[in-house]
Amino acid sequence: MEGLLAWLIITLVKILVILGIVLGIGAYLTLVERKVAAHIQRRPGPMVVGWHGLLQPLADGLKLLTKEDLYPRYGNPFLYNLALVMALVPATLVFAVVPFGPEFEVLGIKVKPILTDVNIGLLLVFALGSMAVFAIALAGWASNSKYALIGSMRKAGIVVSYEVVITFAVMGPIILAGTLSTYDIVQKQIEQKLWYLWLQPMAFVVYMFAMLAETGRVPFDVQEAEAELVTGFTVEYGGMKFGLFPLVEWYIEVLSLSAIAVVLFLGGWSPINIPFLGFIDPLFFLGPLSPFVWFILKVSLLFLFVLWLHWTLPRYRIDQITTTAWKVMLPLTFVNLVLTAVIAPLIWR
Amino acid sequence: MVKRVFEKPLSWLERILFLDFIRGLSVTIRHAFSKTITTHYPYEKLTPPKRFRGFFGHKVVNGKEPQPAFDEWVERFKIKVEPGKSRCVVCMLCKRACPVPQLFEIEGEKLPDGRRVVSTFNMNMMLCTFCGFCVDACPVDCLFQSDIHETAGYTRKDSVLDLQTLERIGRDWQRRREEEPDRIWIDDHQRWRLWHENRPELPEVKR
Repeated sequence: MEGLLAWLIITLVKILVILGIVLGIGAYLTLVERKVAAHIQRRPGPMVVGWHGLLQPLADGLKLLTKEDLYPRYGNPFLYNLALVMALVPATLVFAVVPFGPEFEVLGIKVKPILTDVNIGLLLVFALGSMAVFAIALAGWASNSKYALIGSMRKAGIVVSYEVVITFAVMGPIILAGTLSTYDIVQKQIEQKLWYLWLQPMAFVVYMFAMLAETGRVPFDVQEAEAELVTGFTVEYGGMKFGLFPLVEWYIEVLSLSAIAVVLFLGGWSPINIPFLGFIDPLFFLGPLSPFVWFILKVSLLFLFVLWLHWTLPRYRIDQITTTAWKVMLPLTFVNLVLTAVIAPLIWR
Repeated sequence: MVKRVFEKPLSWLERILFLDFIRGLSVTIRHAFSKTITTHYPYEKLTPPKRFRGFFGHKVVNGKEPQPAFDEWVERFKIKVEPGKSRCVVCMLCKRACPVPQLFEIEGEKLPDGRRVVSTFNMNMMLCTFCGFCVDACPVDCLFQSDIHETAGYTRKDSVLDLQTLERIGRDWQRRREEEPDRIWIDDHQRWRLWHENRPELPEVKR
């Protein structure tokens, strides 16, 4: 009974902390995105609300919340609202299996900074990732608008193609680690003194591409396509409902997939790696906090890299995207998978 | 000498190593860390070049009229010339040149001593295209276009320039920019100084 109570309290605290951090950071990433975009275009970005626009997300949120709540007259209100839930919940649920750091002890209780260390963590991630397509298809369908429908069809096509690619891309690290649990994958990388990036560069590149495609980032943002589709499937949404879709797609999903990429390829919370030799930790002075800082640092660097790509590259056409997925990316991941599967058992174990 | 007409198609090496991506990314990162070029508008303002085509004004009589044209027109129409007042000789050439002539409302007045003077000169800026034909047509260098470009108003009446406003804009212009050489380039620090020294105001809202 005691153990159950402690477990319940710890889990609740973890849920609150993770939700608070993810949603709070998600809101503030809008400011980060605007600032990065602005500086790449040699503008200063938001400067008026707060010091260098630091309060801008709050002002935006207030504005979006106080707007009139409209929905299309001939749309389907139930599906229209369901799409929001379907978008937000799977994207946030992914953080249930993201390990933020190593196990530590508080008041004699061992705490793993991961919500549920299930032994099929990665399977859960990609199952939830493919749920995102439902949200977008429903949003497009329930809006009863041509633009929205075209946008959601495009997105569905992309997600269906890249879901296959991303699943095969992460096979390499899984084979090397021999487990599907995210926590154990990081542990294995630390034990083997090796980030899987060094052995799986091809899988990492493919993973990055698939991540951009799944989250609708440039160069794969055809479902948004401001120039031709207004804003794609969100065109009939207003107020905070409109704000939620980019929040989920551009920030929370990118964040979660970056975290998974860090876990799979960049050794989770481990410091800088020299292959097969060991780890160098320039942040040793932080003591027990250093792994957490490393994890956050890696995720934010990856997120900034995605932003950098977003504001640099032009947009691919939808047929080019699916062609790349099926004709280039998928064969590459097959080659990678076969090589890993043949060589790894011979040399690795 | 070999002239390069097209970019070569990417080689396989370039495609595998994403060299085109890297080239683009290097450009954006260079710009991201260089200084921003924004003018923070309500707090900072740029002065437009002297030949900017903004709101209109009437230059006033100050002894620098184009001669002998001004004297000829004054003599022909028996205009009463008064220093500090508009140079307008009511020749209607501006209205004649205008593509939307109804925006001008020009009337002259005959004084008891037989001389004439301009009494009404209204320009309705709602109809104006800022083409500057009227300025070209003006034979006495009276009508001109100033650097005032913040022209929003609360009523339609605000956008009608009457004679007093035109003269005021003209006086302001002659005071601060008449002597200035014609600068058209953008990185001219003197223009920043010029704007802050002068605060040209538009007419108050009258109801």
